[in-house]
Amino acid sequence: MSTNTIPCTINGKDVEVKEGSTIIEAMKANGVEIAHYCWHPGLSVAGVCRMCMVEIEGNPRLQIACNTQVVKGMKINNTSDKVKDAVKWTLDFHLINHPLDCPICDQAGECGLQDQYMHYGKYEPEMAEAKVKKHKVVDLGPRVVLDSERCILCSRCVRFTDEVSKTNELGIFNRGDRADISTFPGKPLDNNYSMNTVDICPVGALTSKDFRFRQRAWLLKEHQTVCTGCSTGCSTKVFFNKEGLFRVKPVYNEQVNGHWMCDIGRDVYKFVNKEARLFDAKVSGKGTGAGNGLGAEWILPKRAALKVGETLRANKGKGVALVLTGQHTVEEYDALLGFFKNDLGSDRVFHWVNTVGGGPESLEAFDGLLLRGDRNPNTAGLKESLQKFGIKTQWKELLEGLASGAITTVVVAGPENQTFFPDFKAKVVELSKAPRLIWLTAGKNLDLDNLTGDVTLIPLKSYLEKSGTFVNHAGLRQKIAKGLTIVPNALSLTEVAELFAGREIEAAESCSSIGVGRVQNEATTVRGSL
Amino acid sequence: MFKLSAEGLNYVQSELTRYETKQSAIIRCLYRAQDENGGWVSNDVINALSEAMAIPAPQIEEVATFYTMFNRKPVGKYHIQVCCTLTCGMMGGRELLALMMKEAGVKEMGEVSKDGLFTFSKVECLGSCDTAPMLQINREPYTENLTFEKGLKLVQDLRTKGGKLESQISKEL
Repeated sequence: MSTNTIPCTINGKDVEVKEGSTIIEAMKANGVEIAHYCWHPGLSVAGVCRMCMVEIEGNPRLQIACNTQVVKGMKINNTSDKVKDAVKWTLDFHLINHPLDCPICDQAGECGLQDQYMHYGKYEPEMAEAKVKKHKVVDLGPRVVLDSERCILCSRCVRFTDEVSKTNELGIFNRGDRADISTFPGKPLDNNYSMNTVDICPVGALTSKDFRFRQRAWLLKEHQTVCTGCSTGCSTKVFFNKEGLFRVKPVYNEQVNGHWMCDIGRDVYKFVNKEARLFDAKVSGKGTGAGNGLGAEWILPKRAALKVGETLRANKGKGVALVLTGQHTVEEYDALLGFFKNDLGSDRVFHWVNTVGGGPESLEAFDGLLLRGDRNPNTAGLKESLQKFGIKTQWKELLEGLASGAITTVVVAGPENQTFFPDFKAKVVELSKAPRLIWLTAGKNLDLDNLTGDVTLIPLKSYLEKSGTFVNHAGLRQKIAKGLTIVPNALSLTEVAELFAGREIEAAESCSSIGVGRVQNEATTVRGSL
Repeated sequence: MFKLSAEGLNYVQSELTRYETKQSAIIRCLYRAQDENGGWVSNDVINALSEAMAIPAPQIEEVATFYTMFNRKPVGKYHIQVCCTLTCGMMGGRELLALMMKEAGVKEMGEVSKDGLFTFSKVECLGSCDTAPMLQINREPYTENLTFEKGLKLVQDLRTKGGKLESQISKEL
């Protein structure tokens, strides 16, 4: 694309815009607000909603901004009365058959119709005809539900399945006021990117089966992070409140994921919620308060880590092995490897490579859009750190060490998200052969719970509860920040390394949260003040 | 399970090369497939076309449901489409339709008569206002300058004359 700019005037202000851009792109680039539904920067131009009307000097009729290219010296205006009137009426036509069931609609609070009505609404409806009744609660597929009455036929979802996922499940069937979005019989909306249609739906027509009716949008806070579902590392935001996390949505990132994310990534939040988490350290086997070696005691994770550290250091790292997964941040790897290499002088660090359905070649798998076979956010970062510390080991050396008795203590760090480790159970069996096992993980796990030997389980923080860096498959370094706390006593690997080394850990870092502004409706003429 | 005939498949292939985009051939191919399927477009028809044309089924369904010339429900042997737009309407098109439906024993539009012969539709202007009221049977040439008597006789003739269309009858005469 050309990088030349051309001069034009938007709302009386002279600006330079990229050559070849449409008016709506030019307006967005210059921070000018413009009403629109069907236009989406990640999709082709449809020009069906007619909301983005602008006045162009010298042109007697209003034009749509999404399908008109800016030419040199163009004078564009979208604040004139003529434009306002056009937008107002267009919006009113959109609402002819819209049920206005906002109180029971899942989209309320983040709805394009609501937002735009605040700005451009007519407030004096003049439609005398009865509304056309359409299908409600249409099951489009395993993850998406359609309410036809709320649909304004912007065709974003149809274009998404045609252009992005290229699965072509959706279409606009029938015509006029009977037109509705639907799937062809026997071909449901079932692809790994289907939930993006819910995100781009500007109204409450497409809703997520996972999220609907669980929370109101305004009761949730947002936190921007990086998806840990695979090595692509899509930019995402999680929505949460004090009851936990409720959903994940993509954030635009030109370098990584564009506007989209996959459905598998949207389920990642589930392992973070407290129902799935390990809360306290569990110490079982010899030397516990339970005495007979069969029981177990639950203690503060910090104490457990200090205790483990003492024994590790007492033995000078003799017979100690560390197992790492690609689920943690670079900083954590460096801290823990630093302890093992420098404090214990141990080289026995092993990379637990997980494959989801297939051999090692499946790690290289790529679906052509976003999802990669390597379901870890930071395999590249782990490899980098291992190289930095000069560690070159193979998994079979660990097994040999266990068999020969050279390895007596195994410290397993991770995984945070056990669902992407189909070999979890097998590894538990394999590693529990070690006389002493210290397992650091975020989630509860029955296989670990059932172990009876000398086992210490220490709860780890999830990726949302700590800061750090992930390196994605392409070597892109992305920072994540702490957003919330779910398990207050859980530790990050950095903290674990500090405690192992016998040092106190610093006070918890604070969370960042994003405030949400309020839009005032300019069409309301009589407004009191408080 | 509907399958296009060999000639039908050839027809589809030749139509596909006729236009700039494949989508442009959908209407022509749907017509052909509808004719081969006894006057209506079933889901199987759309699936068969989708396969033959290498176009996703929903895109064909979009066309099939947008245009009224494609019947997504079974129709009788004679699909009688009576024009009821302005001129025909003023010349008694609607009354004619009601009368013919009564004669054929059909209660609602779109319904197939018990003998499987008739289905009636009210259609918008077919562009033959000078010969109003008029109707079209299936995709045959128009039947024009109708009166109530002619309409009744048309239904009766179609029923008794072994299912020959008026155009065919007049050709034979």
